Amino acid sequence: MSQRSERRGIHVDQSELLCKKGCGYYGNAAWQGLCSKCWREEYQRARQRQIQEDWALAEKLQREEEAAYVSSHSSSQTQPPQSHSQPSLATFSKFEEKKTNEKTRKVTTVKKFFSPSSRTAPKKESHEGKTPSPSITRQSSIETDRASQDFLEFLKTLQKPGREIQKQSRAFIDSMGNKKDLGAEELSECVQDFYQGMSDRLLNHYKGSSEKVDRVMDQVEKYIMTRLYKSVFCPETSDDEKKDLATQRRIRALHWVTIQMLCVPVDEEIPEVSDSVVKAITDVIEMDSKRVPRDKLAFITSCSKHIFNAIRVTKNEPASADDFLPTLIYIVLKANPPRLQSNIQYITRFCNPSRLMTGEDGYYFTNLCCAVAFIEKLDAHSLNLSPEDFERYMSGQASPQRQDDPAAWLQSGSRFNPALSQIHQNLSVLSNLEKRQQQVIEGAQSLQTELAEWQDSVAHEVQEIMERYPLEIKSRASAIDAENVENDRLPPPLQPQVFAG
Amino acid sequence: MAAAGGKTYSFKVVLLGEGCVGKTSLVLRYCENKFNDKHITTLQASFLTKKLNITGKRVNLAIWDTAGQERFHALGPIYYRDSNGAILVYDVTDEDSFQKVKNWVKELRKMLGNEICLCIVGNKIDLDKERHVSVEEAEGYAESVGAKHYHTSAKLNKGIEELFLDLCKRMMETAQVEERSRGNGASNTSTGRRGVQIVDDEPQTAIPAGGCCTSA
Repeated sequence: MSQRSERRGIHVDQSELLCKKGCGYYGNAAWQGLCSKCWREEYQRARQRQIQEDWALAEKLQREEEAAYVSSHSSSQTQPPQSHSQPSLATFSKFEEKKTNEKTRKVTTVKKFFSPSSRTAPKKESHEGKTPSPSITRQSSIETDRASQDFLEFLKTLQKPGREIQKQSRAFIDSMGNKKDLGAEELSECVQDFYQGMSDRLLNHYKGSSEKVDRVMDQVEKYIMTRLYKSVFCPETSDDEKKDLATQRRIRALHWVTIQMLCVPVDEEIPEVSDSVVKAITDVIEMDSKRVPRDKLAFITSCSKHIFNAIRVTKNEPASADDFLPTLIYIVLKANPPRLQSNIQYITRFCNPSRLMTGEDGYYFTNLCCAVAFIEKLDAHSLNLSPEDFERYMSGQASPQRQDDPAAWLQSGSRFNPALSQIHQNLSVLSNLEKRQQQVIEGAQSLQTELAEWQDSVAHEVQEIMERYPLEIKSRASAIDAENVENDRLPPPLQPQVFAG
Repeated sequence: MAAAGGKTYSFKVVLLGEGCVGKTSLVLRYCENKFNDKHITTLQASFLTKKLNITGKRVNLAIWDTAGQERFHALGPIYYRDSNGAILVYDVTDEDSFQKVKNWVKELRKMLGNEICLCIVGNKIDLDKERHVSVEEAEGYAESVGAKHYHTSAKLNKGIEELFLDLCKRMMETAQVEERSRGNGASNTSTGRRGVQIVDDEPQTAIPAGGCCTSA
């Protein structure tokens, strides 16, 4: 009885508590009156429908965009026309989200076309560049195929464990396909867990030596990261791209920083040194073109080696960190590598941690991180400048080189910048040429006047002579031989003789 | 980070200290046994490795040099993250460089706690006549912060072997203590990142008494 009255007190009936579907279980207001089981079914169905709709919409959008891109090359401005035909208000927010996603994706690709990497790595980018818009077809590219092939070849040498490794890697890649909505950190977590599980298994189950396991793990990393690269590099869920742009802008704003301000111990006047500097710059830029974290690391290492060479040639002693870090900072400032933050984040998230923590590659990578952190936080104090000067340089009101008179600037400029010295040289050659041309023109003019004078003088002379010796015409004899006085003495002309025959 | 099955230890050691205190000379003397030599063959002295065998256990030592200039001080945490040991070098003739070491100690203890083995090293004892940091002061300070103090001379090759050998032994002890507390099983190969997560999951009872790694 008391129970009943209690129930009546809050106006809840037994039937109201039950699942609306009538399955006999209790329902819950939070699940719209359904029990947990029915709710899940219902929800899954609705969600599935939603996903399908979104997919259809996204595909339609993509097709339209591709068409728009092909027809007019001004891609991103063209608004897809079906933005008016939104299916319903309920899906509107989702739709908007999709659209922005599409847009950002497009921005990255457009950027990709123009990023320096397309110049430095023409082989790979050109093949990517053929598809005019970000389409899924790109995922199965030559590169991923080759990676799969290499991986299979490698696994063949391992026999039984190889098959298992392949099965697990394949399964993992498939499972990652369903996790596209996860944040970058969760994705990283998944991949790191996979590495961990795999290497543990290899060590304990198959009793591999640690060197061998390392080798296998390198191959596993290469395989899965080549496959996953597109979906996990600079993902839309992270703000990597924003950071990339911020860093790029920052480095551009710092274009005036000189070797002296950073106390970089390299002398670019020496040809071998400037050669190494150029190679280091190329390597750090080319890092972006690789897919596998380890390959990216290899480029950082190679860049560092070139830096060490430059320092070694300049100072004639092995480089310490005191020399190396400023030089690396200088190289990063000079190179302004594309998608630097994305690359760093990508390596941090998806590289096999054993490489990153203690290895030599890890050391250089850490230094690169330091260089970027330094560039981000750099201020007047860290360049030994007064805050006023720093402000003026940053705002572009003044340039550190142009304080002195232009001649001194040119001279000092040429000392630490080979390009400037080249310009300087070219300028002097040009002015020399100009001078010579002037001389030629003057010579030609004087020649012309001389010629004119000569003509005049000749005419004058002729005139004079003509006046002095006027033309006299004598009366002529009638016959040709008239003047020939001794005509009679000449023998008679020969007559033809006829012989009788 | 540390230890694979009690067979091979990998340690990361950072070298900290002001510029010009001789960090590079110290490590070059240790790894190449050379000092200011024109014939040093390595291209660089900022990352060096050394393989050791201590009481039958293999140790791979990776020595990370850091830029000592004041303006790079803020980058310290990026360098010493995940390191097992730190060697803080000062110049015995330079009072300032000792102050810098004190700053580093404070920072390291704050950021990494007691997991990291600290060594405070007074270098250039060949210039003892010009000494500005007294032995008592330095050793007293080291003791007060739980660090060991060493006197070295890279020029005369004094005290350097001892320094690194001692540090390795201490790092091995720390690693073993950590392993024991973490539990001894299949997971002791894990890296720091993963290891931290495992601590909660793994029951303490899983430790086999006197397992392969627990013998000190």
